[in-house]
Amino acid sequence: MLERLIDFSLKNRLLMIVGAVLLMAAGLFSYRQLPVDAFPDVSPNLVQVFTLTEGLAPEEIEKYVTYPVEGAMTGLPGVETIRSVSNFGLSVVNVYFEDGTDIYFARQIVGERLQEARDRIPEGFGDPEMGPISTGMGQVLFYYLDDTTGKYSLEELRSIQDWLIKFHLQTVPGVTEVLGIGGYEKQYHVEIRPDQLLRFDLTLEEVIERVRANNLNVGAQFIEKNSEEFIVRSVGLATGMEDLRSIVIKTRDGTPVFLDDVAHIGIGGAVRRGLQTRNGTGEVVAGQVIKLFGTNSSTVIGRIEEKLVEINKILPEGVRIVPYYQQKSLVQAAVSTVVDALLQGVLLVALVLLIFMGGLRPSIVVSLSLPFSVLFAFLLMGRFGLSANLMSLGGLAVAIGMMVDGTIVMVENVDRRLRLAGPGDSRLKVISRACREVGRPILFAITIIILVFVPLFTLQGVEGKTFRPLAYTVAMAMFGSLIFALFLAPVLTSLFMRTGKSGAGGTAPQEPRMVRWLQVPYRPMVGFFVRRRWAAVVLSVVLLGVGALIFPRLGSEFSPQLREGTIVVRLTMAPSISLTEIKKTTLTVERRLLAIPEIREVISRIGRGEVGAHTDPINSAEIFVILHPKSEWRVAGGQEEIEEIIREELGNVPGVLVNLTQPIAMTVDELLEGVRAELAVKIFGDNLDVLKEVAAETAALIQEVPGAADVQVDQVSGAPQLLIRVDRQAIARYGVNVADVQEVIRAAVGGVVAGQIYEDIRRFDILVRYVPEARDSVESIRNVLIATPDGARVPLDDLASIEEIIGPRQITRENNQRFISIQCNVVGRDIGSFVAEAQELIDDSSILPAGYLATWGGQFRLQQEANKRLAVVVPLILLFIFLLLFGNFNSLRNSVLILMNIPLALVGGVVALWLTGQNLSVPASVGFIALFGIALENGMVLVTYLNQLLREGVPIAEASIQGACQRIRPVLMTAITTALGLLPLLFSSGTGSEVQRPLATVVIGGLVTSTILTLLVLPAFYKWFTVKEER
Amino acid sequence: MKPSLLSIPAAFRYWIYLTAVLVTLQAPALLAQEHEDDHDDHEDVVKLSAAELEEFGIVVTEAGPATMVRVLDLPGEIQANDNHLAHIVPRFAGIVIDVKARVGDEVTAGQVLAIIESDGSLSSYEMKTLISGTIIDKHITLGEAVSRENGAFIVADLSTVWVDITVYQRDIPSVAIGQKVFVSGGQGLPEVTGKISYVSPVVEEETRTSLARVELPNPDGAWRPGTFITAKIIVENFAVTVAIPRTALQMMDGKDVVFVETGEGFIPREVKLGRSGKDRVEIVSGLSPGEKYVSVGGFTLKAELAKESFGGGHNH
Repeated sequence: MLERLIDFSLKNRLLMIVGAVLLMAAGLFSYRQLPVDAFPDVSPNLVQVFTLTEGLAPEEIEKYVTYPVEGAMTGLPGVETIRSVSNFGLSVVNVYFEDGTDIYFARQIVGERLQEARDRIPEGFGDPEMGPISTGMGQVLFYYLDDTTGKYSLEELRSIQDWLIKFHLQTVPGVTEVLGIGGYEKQYHVEIRPDQLLRFDLTLEEVIERVRANNLNVGAQFIEKNSEEFIVRSVGLATGMEDLRSIVIKTRDGTPVFLDDVAHIGIGGAVRRGLQTRNGTGEVVAGQVIKLFGTNSSTVIGRIEEKLVEINKILPEGVRIVPYYQQKSLVQAAVSTVVDALLQGVLLVALVLLIFMGGLRPSIVVSLSLPFSVLFAFLLMGRFGLSANLMSLGGLAVAIGMMVDGTIVMVENVDRRLRLAGPGDSRLKVISRACREVGRPILFAITIIILVFVPLFTLQGVEGKTFRPLAYTVAMAMFGSLIFALFLAPVLTSLFMRTGKSGAGGTAPQEPRMVRWLQVPYRPMVGFFVRRRWAAVVLSVVLLGVGALIFPRLGSEFSPQLREGTIVVRLTMAPSISLTEIKKTTLTVERRLLAIPEIREVISRIGRGEVGAHTDPINSAEIFVILHPKSEWRVAGGQEEIEEIIREELGNVPGVLVNLTQPIAMTVDELLEGVRAELAVKIFGDNLDVLKEVAAETAALIQEVPGAADVQVDQVSGAPQLLIRVDRQAIARYGVNVADVQEVIRAAVGGVVAGQIYEDIRRFDILVRYVPEARDSVESIRNVLIATPDGARVPLDDLASIEEIIGPRQITRENNQRFISIQCNVVGRDIGSFVAEAQELIDDSSILPAGYLATWGGQFRLQQEANKRLAVVVPLILLFIFLLLFGNFNSLRNSVLILMNIPLALVGGVVALWLTGQNLSVPASVGFIALFGIALENGMVLVTYLNQLLREGVPIAEASIQGACQRIRPVLMTAITTALGLLPLLFSSGTGSEVQRPLATVVIGGLVTSTILTLLVLPAFYKWFTVKEER
Repeated sequence: MKPSLLSIPAAFRYWIYLTAVLVTLQAPALLAQEHEDDHDDHEDVVKLSAAELEEFGIVVTEAGPATMVRVLDLPGEIQANDNHLAHIVPRFAGIVIDVKARVGDEVTAGQVLAIIESDGSLSSYEMKTLISGTIIDKHITLGEAVSRENGAFIVADLSTVWVDITVYQRDIPSVAIGQKVFVSGGQGLPEVTGKISYVSPVVEEETRTSLARVELPNPDGAWRPGTFITAKIIVENFAVTVAIPRTALQMMDGKDVVFVETGEGFIPREVKLGRSGKDRVEIVSGLSPGEKYVSVGGFTLKAELAKESFGGGHNH
């Protein structure tokens, strides 16, 4: 079958070449269409539903908003988990879908149910809306407004942001949302003086009603006049402060009482839950641009930049947009890191080919497999919707050396056969024979390489999303290289390569000089090992011993942190903190940061602005650090070193938890909202107080289990509340309804929007509330007067009890139930037995009341699941590899011999990690996996040839030595090309290189030992594992 | 010839490695947790340098005695002094033939305000004011037929006015005659002091409020009857051994605490609150005079103590 295909391609050479060119052209086209990102997007597949209800406490938000929204979302197809957070004034419901669910489908079904939810939320309690169509990678550009004139107020700047910049940026294709933060949203404030209400015998409701009723435009159809239609409209909209002032609230004896008489009218800022500061000096107005899901980051960012230039032109004199964070630089840096590595790898590989093949022509044929495989991979990436990023392109860089392997073997064999061929032999026949000889092993070898990457496909979660693209592109490129090696290489060799110099006749075929040099020291070495096999055994055992010794010394980490190139200092403060206080503290920290000489600028985001992709609570501040150019630093090195300096010099900030993070990592973490500890016990139940109590008791119990460390209960309370409880007896005496009291509290203290003022298309709310001094303290709230039906005024204090309590800071729910989680790490024992013991302890103690449930999860659960999955996949793959080997060699012994290649290859990887001081991590493991494939491939090349010699009648010992000497070229070439292909990744210090480096280290180190094994030990062992029956 | 023997250790090791590699594939980010280990050594003590106190605006004050006042903020209205008010009515029904005074005119006792021709006697008589004062109301027009039922003038002596303060039910027990009152009318009127001279013995049925009254001298007539005012009644005035500003109080675990400076640093101390004034509050126990406590910026110290718990829900 395979032979026939090879012959077919040789017969239809033109067709094959045209086909190949077309394929490559398609690949190139596809590459241009590929979305380019910095990293693979590890954000979970989720749809967020936000509901903004200003002024409502977490309990009410949960009851009136979160609950109906959650209810509507349950039972949707593909939903994995629904998690919600009810905060002060904001409900966020995260609907997590299974990986692979189409985001637009998910949004569509959520959108349909949202309608249902809207109907269930009481009037005036907010309108649920879906979050932006974006992911954690979507925050592509942050900017602030620089006002050099200093004459614009924060309200004016915010208006410029909201009504000018935002509108223009939103029209950029690929931008899904622009969120403003900082400054104040402009509002018309009608601040009522309660004593004036008393004087004119008015109530707050009457005033609000009057404001509403004097601010409207209406249409009244049309009249006919002289054959023309005149549209009738009445204009009564208030257009500014003058109109508001002159609204008549009441007429007494023909004397009008104007709004101005009872209230102070002015322009002010809306209530805000966030702000932005800069350089420790004061507030600025800022914005964040969010990119649409699935669009090409670099294109979108390019368009945004063009637009920014345009907008800057139309901004008022002296005001200008200054971007302070751009993902562009990150995307460029990450992509250029791998593209550089790719190009350098290609060059190095081509150089090696030239040296080893000893001729330009075969080198060209082999080199051509690189562009073909890479473009083929691009074509498939386009088809499967993979984006070009650090990992997917990294996969190509990793595969460069391996991509040429199949073709090397093919071309090398053709080369050898052509040299051996007599002048009379048909070129095509010789080539065809040569190709058929190695076609099968090539097919099997490359299939094995692809197969070893299969377990990576089954990775889930963050590591899956990170490393699957790499595995995919490796597989795709290898598949492309297989096609090239099997069907195009024969065609190209027939076109390019010359028959051996005629007349050479019986003399030994001409090996390139390089190879002959290599053979001089190699032949006696391999001869030594073949004759003294036990020496080979000793060598292997020593190597394995070294590996076994070093392996436990290796540190372990999950995955090296990707360096995004931007440092964010994240401050978390007490949950009850006020905006004023956090602003003060953040400015202090900013000043401390600015004192560090490497830092040029700092700009902080506190809390949240407009709700969307960013919904931080008010106690959180993120300081973006802008550094001076590297040349001005006191230290050499990269981000890590600078982070160390910042940590050191920032020191302890009283009352503030300081974390150093990065923009994308931070956003993605928030979306994942995962539990970082090994073990997380979630207690589900209804009553918050009971939950809190049970959680504390459970934590105490867990603490007693040996091995427990860092036991921590989620802090759910901590937000002080002023609880006003209406006294039903008291209101009954006065004949007042509960709602009457509450309405006054809401309007007087919180404020009520009584319409809008239109300035052209700009729309600003009219907020009616008491003057600050009549509502800004507990005392003044006690004195708010409530009107009774018979005209009396009663202070609130007489109708309600007012107490200060500590309430929940947020209410978290999962799958429609409240929960509190207890996190814990396990030290010095097996986590499985720990869980069993703890579980038993809790069951026995019966601290869980009826209706309360504890679930055990955390990282360990994910690990268990992954291990379970891998426990099935890995043996299956190994079995499959073994079957392939067996199918190739038809011999159990041969197959075992080749599998033995693997441990020695691992030794090299382990040693290399140890020498370079790196840890065992996920990318290192990926390197080990790649190593499996390469080691197997090398072994196959050699054993196949030895078998062949054996069949030709050469004695085993002689065959071992001769065969090894003759195959030194392809074995060394494949090993060296692979190693050199990775070398640029090893030495790169660009963005993202920290993830690729462990991988490259492992493969290169492993190749050293694996090549030693293949070249020295394998020929020695060959005799024990040979196919005896042949003799 | 036992080749299989040789392959055993190799194969064995291979499996060890393979398993190890696969396990690390799923290795959790344990390291991220390690920095949280050491939170046992600082038991509710916050140490801050003088520079840090300054940087974060934390003020340390010495506890000491204070005189505190309890104040009630109540609305009120300026009324003409009832004791110096006169309603001037026509003695006999008749026709008004002359009006000699207008609203606002200052009159002296016995001054003629109008001349009326009596219906009965058809003779005219003079209507005279009974007191000196200002005419604050007039219901009489030339040619009008007036009778004894119509009041013609109201003359008030505005050299003193009444401040009628609305006292809500809850405040009635606190208000007593003789208490000092600050009266402010806003709108350019000065704040003046007075004393409560009268407290109404009843609660008005309709408004459920009672009345306290201050008599205010009004030499230049600035306090016009009908003006709305705010009254601050000093209902209590007491000396305490320790009083602290409200800003010093922090709530921790539902208890009131004050951060006290000790040799080791600042520690939160639970205090028992006594009577409270407007901005200050009496400390019954927990803080002795002479001790240094944090009067401003205690929140930062409280937050520093609770810092470890901030992470929950927002861990990185």
